[in-house]
Amino acid sequence: MEQSVARPQSELAPGEVLKLAQLAPSILRNIPKSFSSSLLLSLFSASETPEIWTAYENLLLACCRTGDMESAREFLERLVLRFGNDNERVLAFKGLVKEAAADNQGELVQILKEYETILGPTTTNIPVAKRRVALLRSMGKTSEAIEALNDLLDYSPTDAESWAELADIYLSQGLYPQAIYSLEEVLVLTPNAWNIHARLGEVLYMAASSSDTLRQKHLTESVKRFSRSIELCDDYIRGYYGLKLATGKLLKDPPKVSMHAESGDWIPPDTTTTEKLNELATKKLAEIVRRNLAGEPLWQGYKPSEIAAARELLEKDSADLVR
Amino acid sequence: MAQLPDQTIHRDPQLFYWILVPITVVMVLTGILRHYASVLLATPSKIIDRPTMKEQRSLIHGQTVRNNHHVLSKKSFEARREVLINAYESGAYLKNGAGKDQAPTNPLTDPGAMDGMMGMMKNNMAMIIPNTLIMSWISAFFSGYVITKLPFPITIKFKSMLQAGVATKEMDPRWMSSISWYFLCIFGLQPVFVFLLGSDNAASQMAQQMGQMGPPPNQPMLGAGPDTNKQFLGEAENIAVIDHYSVLDDVELRLLKGIKG
Repeated sequence: MEQSVARPQSELAPGEVLKLAQLAPSILRNIPKSFSSSLLLSLFSASETPEIWTAYENLLLACCRTGDMESAREFLERLVLRFGNDNERVLAFKGLVKEAAADNQGELVQILKEYETILGPTTTNIPVAKRRVALLRSMGKTSEAIEALNDLLDYSPTDAESWAELADIYLSQGLYPQAIYSLEEVLVLTPNAWNIHARLGEVLYMAASSSDTLRQKHLTESVKRFSRSIELCDDYIRGYYGLKLATGKLLKDPPKVSMHAESGDWIPPDTTTTEKLNELATKKLAEIVRRNLAGEPLWQGYKPSEIAAARELLEKDSADLVR
Repeated sequence: MAQLPDQTIHRDPQLFYWILVPITVVMVLTGILRHYASVLLATPSKIIDRPTMKEQRSLIHGQTVRNNHHVLSKKSFEARREVLINAYESGAYLKNGAGKDQAPTNPLTDPGAMDGMMGMMKNNMAMIIPNTLIMSWISAFFSGYVITKLPFPITIKFKSMLQAGVATKEMDPRWMSSISWYFLCIFGLQPVFVFLLGSDNAASQMAQQMGQMGPPPNQPMLGAGPDTNKQFLGEAENIAVIDHYSVLDDVELRLLKGIKG
């Protein structure tokens, strides 16, 4: 039980969150309110471990998601008791709980104002700054959110999470070059993150479908990004899926030779290589789908939705072939 | 060498209750007092303001771009290289803007450095004052007593340490005077404080003395800190000389080969 509670849980499905949140009351009952750092006193009470605080944060989030505000406040109270009222993370959590409890636009505006007073002109409270961005975004003030994020990244350009969020916002606005730039920044900070490589490949693929002038260049880089993500993580379904799409598109309208190959752009891979890549991706996707559906024990880590999407892509492909 | 007969000294058993125990108790209590005094006196850790953070993180950012340039395409890297070098050389990231040719600040007038020095002073005071007091208290009341005998034999060299204040040549070094008991308490009470106050207590003097020997390396105490502008210029040069390659250059060929092989 402790294990799943202490794990980061951004990816949890609603059902799992509900299960977690239902654990909350019993955990609140079983763990004492405060801990002492002294050995003498800890003879009489449970000892403190770092996992407990992670678990508290996770449960706090889960309770906010499921609307169990009473438990959420209890967790918050304990965090305040341990880390003090002015701790940066605690301030952010306080705001979060208020946001979750707010039920009209006016209260949200009020919370936003509170964030702004906490932040002031020169403080560097990054958790609260991030909350503010998230709140602005969820209130639909996208341009303000972008502005706030850029402000944050100006004084903290080594924050991969913020760059990723910025890329996401830009992408939602269809600003592909900006999104690509931000994702590249994420990659600079986490050079071996295969999911970010694949994500950048996806964004490049989308950008290629939207513009005609840079189409060739974006598609080439997209293929390369997907290849890199597979190189970093074997059997990565998103990488293969993207590779298949991108190479398929490259095959459909082959690169015109003597395109502007100046200025250090990558030249698109030649047709045989592209074909081979496409073939490889198809084969691998088929293998993953087959093994997953056959219930082989080592192939069960994929999400059902990913498998379904891959299957659909394969079926569409074979339907095209038959025709 | 003939075995010396065991020395026996007839001590008043009351010595134990009126000297050994009081010294120990007083030492423990001062330790606890010092812990709480230093908690009270502790300066809150300073919050970095935006320009400072910008300065630090921009430098780190440049270093990461330099280290991980291989994930970028040539064009993206060139764009970043140009921006970074320009900003570094013009001093755009510097905390105090254009004033990049300033001399390093004098630590005695810089309020930031003063804070650090005040902290050190407070720590020193919290250590020196009780020590002097107890020392003079012990030597005023208890000097010259032999109070106990160690349960294990030790060599003659310890005589000057253990029998401070008792100048008797022939006495077995196992006999201890009250001043030596005091010193033993200074060095030996650390585990007791850990037990009573938790492991991050400020009661023990040993820990504080250790801390003073090596101040944290990123906080230069006195003298000029590293000149940030120079660091930026150095980093600009480092970035300028990078011979760019990308990990994506032949990735599809590598992939085909790797999967097949």
